[in-house]
Amino acid sequence: MIRSLRVAARLAARNIRRRPGQALLLLLTLTIATGTLGLGLSVYGSADAAWDRAWTATDGFHVSFDVYHPPDERGNDHFVRSMERRAAELADAPGVVAVGGPWTHLYGSIDVAGGREDLTAEIREPGRYAVDQPLVTSGGWLRSGDDGVVLEGGLAATLGAEAGDTVTIQGEPFPIIGVATTVSRGRFPLARPAQVWVTPATAERMRDLGMTVEGFELQMRLRDPADAPAFVASHRPAFRADPNSSAIAFLETWQERRADSHSDIDIVAGTLLIAGILIAILTISTAAVLVAGRMSARIRQVGTLKAVGTTPRQIVLALLLEYGAVALVATAIGIGIGLLLAPAIADTSVTILGTPQPRLTSTQVAIVGGVAFLVVLIGTVRPAFRGVRRSTLSSLASGARPPRRPGRLSRWASDAGLPVPAVLGLRSSWRRPGRLITNAAGLTFGVAMIVVALALRDSLDLLNTRIAEPGHAASDAAVGVLYDQIRAIVLGTALLLVTLGSINAFIVASFAARDGARSHAAIRAVGGTPRQTVISLIVSQLGACALAVVLGIPLGLGLWSLMEGGDLPETGVSLLALLVVAALVPIVFAGVVSVPARRLASRPVAPLLTYE
Amino acid sequence: MNPVIEAKDLVKTYDADEAPVRAVDHVDVVVEAGEAVSVMGPSGCGKSTLLHLLGGLERADAGELSLGGDRVDRLSETEWAILRRRSIGFVFQAFNLVDELTAIENVELPALLLGASRRDARGRAMRLLERLRVSERAGHLPDRLSGGERQRVAVARALINEPLLILADEPTGNLDSKATGDILGLFAELRDARQTLLVVTHDARVASTADRLLTMRDGAIVGQTRLEAGRPTASALAGLLDLGDTA
Repeated sequence: MIRSLRVAARLAARNIRRRPGQALLLLLTLTIATGTLGLGLSVYGSADAAWDRAWTATDGFHVSFDVYHPPDERGNDHFVRSMERRAAELADAPGVVAVGGPWTHLYGSIDVAGGREDLTAEIREPGRYAVDQPLVTSGGWLRSGDDGVVLEGGLAATLGAEAGDTVTIQGEPFPIIGVATTVSRGRFPLARPAQVWVTPATAERMRDLGMTVEGFELQMRLRDPADAPAFVASHRPAFRADPNSSAIAFLETWQERRADSHSDIDIVAGTLLIAGILIAILTISTAAVLVAGRMSARIRQVGTLKAVGTTPRQIVLALLLEYGAVALVATAIGIGIGLLLAPAIADTSVTILGTPQPRLTSTQVAIVGGVAFLVVLIGTVRPAFRGVRRSTLSSLASGARPPRRPGRLSRWASDAGLPVPAVLGLRSSWRRPGRLITNAAGLTFGVAMIVVALALRDSLDLLNTRIAEPGHAASDAAVGVLYDQIRAIVLGTALLLVTLGSINAFIVASFAARDGARSHAAIRAVGGTPRQTVISLIVSQLGACALAVVLGIPLGLGLWSLMEGGDLPETGVSLLALLVVAALVPIVFAGVVSVPARRLASRPVAPLLTYE
Repeated sequence: MNPVIEAKDLVKTYDADEAPVRAVDHVDVVVEAGEAVSVMGPSGCGKSTLLHLLGGLERADAGELSLGGDRVDRLSETEWAILRRRSIGFVFQAFNLVDELTAIENVELPALLLGASRRDARGRAMRLLERLRVSERAGHLPDRLSGGERQRVAVARALINEPLLILADEPTGNLDSKATGDILGLFAELRDARQTLLVVTHDARVASTADRLLTMRDGAIVGQTRLEAGRPTASALAGLLDLGDTA
């Protein structure tokens, strides 16, 4: 076994040295995949870590009990009173070791740039609380006798305000005492409404200005924070809202709040992860195409190696080692890129609490590395085994495998009177169906993502043209920024997929040009022009692109139908845009494929003809 | 005198690792209409390169080349391709049929490239395959044909546009004795039909079917023999040439 490994390692090292371009190409595509995955995972991790730090610093809740009733809706008094009793029972429930509240919430409005925002003022007695003591980042906390407000950090950031400034609430100015961070709410403006903390005295003034009670909140810490889900499960059935009222009451664990607290980062990270997975899938086809191409090119070398006693296992092992080494390097670079870029992406978040500190757990590193190795394994094993399965004699004797039977499609094309180069191209297109299908699969994802990006663009454009709803001025703008980020990622992913698809197409076309070099030389020897051979090679590769367009457009529309609705306005992609995609993708593809085709056509005929 | 092809002072040099190799060294060749010419010589003497230069498959470094009285040595690749489909038929040792095309599609290919209708091209191709006794294999891909069948298909392909000149490079090099016999008969028929023919060969039996024999050594033509009626036998020809490595 050790001897086998040594032989395989030597072969792998020599192959990488002899064909550094191919190894670099695989490294590039794998690194894009691992980098995107690493970035997605570390961005996701950085938000959780920041939340955890704030949660610890503020003695954050384990379970929260929230009661809300629309301020202008009457007839909720009975429900509210019953919920107050429930809150008292919860505070005394077994397992609860500390309680914060219940704190009454007033509903009103605050002026922000561009309009007004809904506002919740949480009424607190001055002093320190055992649960959810907001972490003051500027100014001070509520004190007796102060007639002012403490702003939630996200609100302060949106307003560009700090302690000492004033804010306008219900049309009246209120001095800002301080700015504080909490985990009991998501950060404004993506989490609405805006929040301030006030003393009971200030709350009285706000009531006089027309603010009304909209509910209350009770926060609890348990003996063991891990018990929060069980605690909620055991008490939740008792807190069903009255079906005749829009008033609601709900229990929430700290884990649920954390998961909901940085929705923008989650969406961005999720989009990056999906992009990474799609790119990884596409990289499988890159690896498969490279290995298959190399095996067909080196089939004679494999024959020689077998003839001198190298076993098929050693040859496959050499390929796995070679590409495994590439996967290892790609994982290291990808994780490095992820950790390096994550702070910049996380910094664009408006929900993250404090400074993001990207991190990757060992499990996440293993996931990224596992994906890279899986890509290599799936891409390598089949073509490698196919290559070494050939008999030694046939490996030594022959070049690329000739076709076994003429294709029906090309017969129809011939009967239909298509030009000779097109018929020749169609005849060659099914010569390597595996490559055609893997290439088509990659391009299909690319086309689908372009369609999604187009739909997203239309939908977001529609969103931007909407007049901001009263009370949503700042949050609508923040949502717009978030969607712009997502659109950029989706568009970037689409471009990456199409670029990788084009790289795959280039590799496939290069190998196809090499496989078909003798046939093309023969065609030129009997009167085919270089241009005709270029057309023939392009047509032979266009099948993958046609499949990608035919499958990718409906796939993209299907994906979009799953995404639209909710916060995104429903919109379709115009027929014209789809037609442009259907026309442009094959044109770009043909341009890429024409490069190796032209290179082949520029070579003199005689050296390409077989002399055996 | 009505030369179909006329080469003057052709030179072709290849770059090699140690020193440049002159494959064709100031060669003059004239082939008259209806004449069959053989070129013989030891391996590596430049026979195939000369044939490639005459057919435009490679470009000469120096010299003049005329086909049917027109200068062709300065034609572009595309112009050469059009000229080949109209005026030159090639037969190769390794057949060089297009793998993806059936036997009959290979034969009709030059006709289609020249602009013939599919019906006309198919009819002519089938007649040629019948004449060459390989019509029953018309629908098969080259991979399914024997060496002799492939070469007969290749000859049919070379003939379909009734070219001015047929260039054949070791046409029996990959064939067994029976198939070689068939091809010899075929070339004799072509000569008798006054098809202009230039054959590069190692095989004295093939060479003996020609009207004239050129001998090459080290890239140059070193001898010329006219083979009149009552041709010498292959063994006598081999002795005459003193090649040593004839088949």
